[in-house]
Formats: sequence, C-alpha cells, structure tokens
Amino acid sequence: MVAQLIVNGIVYSSIIVLASIGLSLVYSIGNFANFAHGDTMAVGAFVALASAPLVQAIVPGVTIAGFPLWFFGALLVGMAAAAVVAVVTEYVVYRPLDSSAIGLLITSIGVALAYRALLLMQFGPGQQSYPVSRGGRIPWVESALGVSVTARDVVIVFSSIVLVASLHAMLQYTTLGRKMRAMADNAELARVSGIRTGEVIIAMWVIGAALAGAGGVFLGLDTIIRPRMGFELLLLIFAAVILGGIGSVYGAMLGGFAIGMAHELTPAIPFIGTEYNAAVAFLVMIAILLVRPNGILGGDAT
Amino acid sequence: MSDDSSGFRQDPVGALRAWWTDAERADRLVYTAIAAVVVLLTVGVAIGSIGIRYVAGLLVLVAMYSLLTTGLNVQWGYAGLINFSVIAFWGIGAYTAMLVSSANSPLELGWHPAAAIPLAIVAGTVVAVFIGIPTLRLREDYLAIASLGLAEVVRLILLNERQWTAGSQGISGIPVPLSWLPFGTRTAVLLIGAVLLLAVYLFVRRIHRSPWGRVQRTVRADEDLAEALGKDSYRLKMQAFVIGSVVMTLSGVLYVFYAQFLGPADLLPLETFYVWVALILGGTGSDKGALLGGAVIVLIREGTRFLSGTAAFDLLQTGLEVVGILTHINTASLRLFAVGVLIVLVIRYRPEGLLPPREELIWPDAKRRAEVSGDRSAHGDAPGAVAEPVPETGSDDEGEEK
Repeated sequence: MVAQLIVNGIVYSSIIVLASIGLSLVYSIGNFANFAHGDTMAVGAFVALASAPLVQAIVPGVTIAGFPLWFFGALLVGMAAAAVVAVVTEYVVYRPLDSSAIGLLITSIGVALAYRALLLMQFGPGQQSYPVSRGGRIPWVESALGVSVTARDVVIVFSSIVLVASLHAMLQYTTLGRKMRAMADNAELARVSGIRTGEVIIAMWVIGAALAGAGGVFLGLDTIIRPRMGFELLLLIFAAVILGGIGSVYGAMLGGFAIGMAHELTPAIPFIGTEYNAAVAFLVMIAILLVRPNGILGGDAT
Repeated sequence: MSDDSSGFRQDPVGALRAWWTDAERADRLVYTAIAAVVVLLTVGVAIGSIGIRYVAGLLVLVAMYSLLTTGLNVQWGYAGLINFSVIAFWGIGAYTAMLVSSANSPLELGWHPAAAIPLAIVAGTVVAVFIGIPTLRLREDYLAIASLGLAEVVRLILLNERQWTAGSQGISGIPVPLSWLPFGTRTAVLLIGAVLLLAVYLFVRRIHRSPWGRVQRTVRADEDLAEALGKDSYRLKMQAFVIGSVVMTLSGVLYVFYAQFLGPADLLPLETFYVWVALILGGTGSDKGALLGGAVIVLIREGTRFLSGTAAFDLLQTGLEVVGILTHINTASLRLFAVGVLIVLVIRYRPEGLLPPREELIWPDAKRRAEVSGDRSAHGDAPGAVAEPVPETGSDDEGEEK
C-alpha cells in the first residue's frame, strides 16, 4: 500500500514542482510573493481544455502507448496562454505600480481574484475534465511491481522531468539563464552591469507562468478542472517554496517534491484522515519556519 | 468624533464649521457621501420603500465588518502584519459562541451567551499566538503565507470534526442577550453591535495614540531603527496581532446573534479579502477609515446584489450570450471580480485610502497647545507640542525598503 502511495506521491510532486519553480522565480527575481500563481495554473488548465476540440482537429489522431498525441498540443496552448496572461498582467498591473514588495503582494491577491472571477464567468463553477479516455493501469507494471500506474501518470511525470531538465539547462548554460541568476542574486548590481532587467522580468513571467500552466494542465489531468483548483493548491506551493528556501529555484524543486510526497503519504500516518492532507502540509511548513526559516537550500544562489 | 468637546458645547455651529474647514478635501467628500447614504436610507424608511428591519440588519452587518476592519487595522495598519486569515478568527469567535450557547450545539452546554465573549477572546488569543510564534520573527510575507494556511486548516477542522462542530450541517439558533428588551431581537443585536463597536473603537483609538501606538508605527516604518532604540519588535508585533485577532473573534460572536445560523461554508476565503479591500480603501492605519471600510463592504455586497437585478445587467448577460463569452456571469463571480479589480486599483491610485490617518494620530491636548501657540498649519511640527515625530503611516508603502 505504501508503494502505491509513493507512486501517487511522485505524480503529485511533479505537479507541485512545476508550480513551485514559477513561484520561486517570481519570488527571487520579481521580489514578491505572488498570490496569483495558483490561479495562473487554473488559467493554463482551462485554456488547454477550451482549445482541445481545435487541437484535436489539427493534430493527427495518433496515440503514444495509449495516450493521444493531441493532448500535448493542448498542453502547449495552455502553457502559452498562461505565459501571455502573465506578461499582459505584468505590463498592465505590476509594471506601472510604484510600490514595495508588500504592495505587489496585496496587488497579486487582487489579480488572483480577477483571474478566478473571469474563469468562473467563462466556464462556470462546475467540474470538468479533459476528453482523454481514463485508460487502465499499465498491466506489466502492475504485475511486476504490484502498483497501479496509468498512462496519465507516466505522461505527467515524464513531461515534468523534460520541463525541469530544460529549465535547468536554460538557467545554467544560456545567457538568459545567467542574467536571471544574476538578477535573482542582486537586481541593482545586475542593472549596473548592463543587464536589461525589464527584459529579464518578462522572461521570468513567461517561464514561470508557462510552467505553472503546465502544472495546471497536469493537475487537471490527474484530478479535475475547476476554477478553484489553483487557489486551493497555492498553500502547498508556498509551503514547498518556503521548505526549499525562498528564492532558490533548486530548493523549490526539492521542496515541491517533499511537500507533494507528504501530501500523498498522509494516509500512511495513523490517526489522520485524508481530509487533512492540506493540514499536514501546513504543519510541515510551520515546523520549518520554527526550525529552519531559511529553508533547506536557503541562502544559496539559484 | 470631534475631540474638541468643550468647544463644541460653547459654540456648536462654530465648532462644526471649524471642523468642516479643517477637514481635508477628500475627507469632506467622504463625509458628504456618508450623509447622502444616511439621508437616502432615512427617506427610504420614511416613505416605506425600505423595511426598517432590513436597515437594522444592514447596520448590524456594518458593525460586524467594521469590527473586522478595525481588527485588521491594528494588525496591518499599526504594525504592518499581513493577516490573510481574518475569516478564520471571525469563525473562531462565531463557533465559540454557537458551541457554548446554542441549544442545537453538539456540545450541549447551553451556557449564557455572555459567557461566549471571554471564551472567544481566549480562543482567539491562543490561535493568534500559535501562528504568531513561528512567523512574527520573520519577514512580513511569511505571516501572509502561514495565515492563508491557517484559514484553510480552521475550515477543514470545523468541517471534519463532526462530533464537536456538527460539520457541514452547521448549527442554528442561539439565544440573543437583551432580547427581553421591548424592541425586538434585531434591534437588541444592533444595540450589542453598536456598544461593541464603540467600545472597540475607543479602545483602539486610545492605544493608537499612546506611546505603544507610536512605537508600533516606528516598527512598521523602520524595524531596525526600533530595534536599535531597544524596542522588542517581536513582542510589539505579537501584541498587535493578538489584539487585532481578538477584535475579529468578537465580530464573529456578533454575527451569530444576527444570523442565528453558522456553518463551515460561512468561512469563505473571499470574506478575508473583502476586509482587506475595505481597510485599504478606508485608509490603512486610520481608525476612522476602518469604520468607513465596514460600510464599504456592505455597500459592495448590497450593490452587486442590486446590480444583478437590474435591466442593464440582464442586457449585459444577453449580449455576452450572443457573443458567446463569459456566459456564466452572475452575482458571485461579479463580486469576486469587483473585489479583485478594486484591490488592484486602490493600491495603484490611492494606496493611502479615502480617509488616511493624519490629525487623528495627534493627542488632542498637543493639538490644542499647538493651536494656542498660533501655529495651526503645522500641528505635528510644533516643537514641544508633540513629543515624538509622527510618521505618516499612510505613505509607508512607498517608504519601505524593497
């Protein structure tokens, strides 16, 4: 049973990791706690859903190991939409605002509510899901390891690995990545060194929101799609970012993995029901704040 | 709200005129708007198009939300603490009252509702200290994040611990104190609300102007400076956080007397953000602004309800349906959108709010002495009149370091 929980944990962690990276990027480069991050995920999930019929018509009906190819097209549309929405928000809301980190934090709450309100107006409050057939467990995995793994789980985990690996490569080996790390380290110094910080901030929104959008699509694939989905996940994402150390992208990945696992392993803890798995993440967060407020990788450069 | 009560007795018209000319332009606009709403309501009741019971209910809600904004003002306005679990503290107060006094409570205690108030204060204090210990030593955003979690956890506990809280079913019915008075239950609740609000308002105004309040403003403006001067900023933040949270729990107690029903669904996270909008719009750090904020929330709620019944809204709905976008528009989503956009707009265009704190932070005595010395234009700068410089809390947001 624990093996099955670990499998669920890995799937759920992938989603949290994708979401935490974007939040951590905005925290370190944009310098504020972005409470609209969860709702950016929901935007990605809903746009992917809305684009599904169109993408299905364009992409040939090929399936890879029982999973339709068009879904990846919809995933890209969702990621792009989340990125566009975030960049537009940056230009319309955040950039003209001459305020402190706290002013930005409170503004981001307003942005979050506005995103969610628009999703509610467009799609209604109900639950929806992607038109991908549920598919069964993969038989040979079940017979070999005794755990049930579906094609969806494999898609979520492997796509996440690809996305995280590309982010790592981008951060470490490209000029843009170096600029982003420089700015996360010291924005003033980066500006003085001739880095166009405005452009780096746009890149930060594109990357962070696209990853959030992907996280939203995978969350929708793993569970269901509804306007509140992102906001409900926000606490877990923040817990992950704090656990990893605010501002450290690699810390956020680690924290995301740990929080995702803790969330799914809650049933293994005696006396605590699954209805409290959000509470467990909260208690983990409180414990970290008491013991090591800088997080696991806090203080290190990204 | 004028402090020159002796002058008022001697020459009421003159004092009023002086007060009016002293008031800033924005303040005058707000006072005019309040007067207009009061006149509209009075006329409405007089000609019978608005029920007096409805007006009394609105006023109770104004008192309830004003308590919430006042509590948040002590935390965010005085001390700069970001609390996103306003509704959780409200819920703790409301549930405490319901659980100990309601006949339908699963605990079956049946205590007098007056016992609920000290219990709610204790419960609010315990929870505030619990969340304050790990977060108040750290940067502001940690409290913001942890309190968002606290709100969710409180809601989960209330929802799932059925044997104690009745779960999603909720609890109904609570005896109202003073309901033996000859003018009905609703009015009794209104009376309790008014007394509670007045007491809390006088209390927070008193502490706000005291040395304690001044140190709070110093901590908010420059924590390192306060520490260097030997002030224990953690302790001060904890005090502000607990006081604010206790005020919020009192608001919850008032609510159950009014609503006579309580369930976990009442603890919507959106309510917390209503209170935030109201406080920022009313004027962060201003006690008067916090009172105004309470009225603003009721205005938003009733306004959106009224709006969704109008022909214009129907037309909008039909139009959107023809175009095929935003077809699920309704009161709930419209409210959410309005609150979100309001937050963004207020922070951008009027971060100090409608009634920013100015003169209300100065001791009346100091003001009078400054006036006697003939220096009316510069109350705060008169040497000897005000012992410490009064930082303009309204503009702290710009002054803080990134």
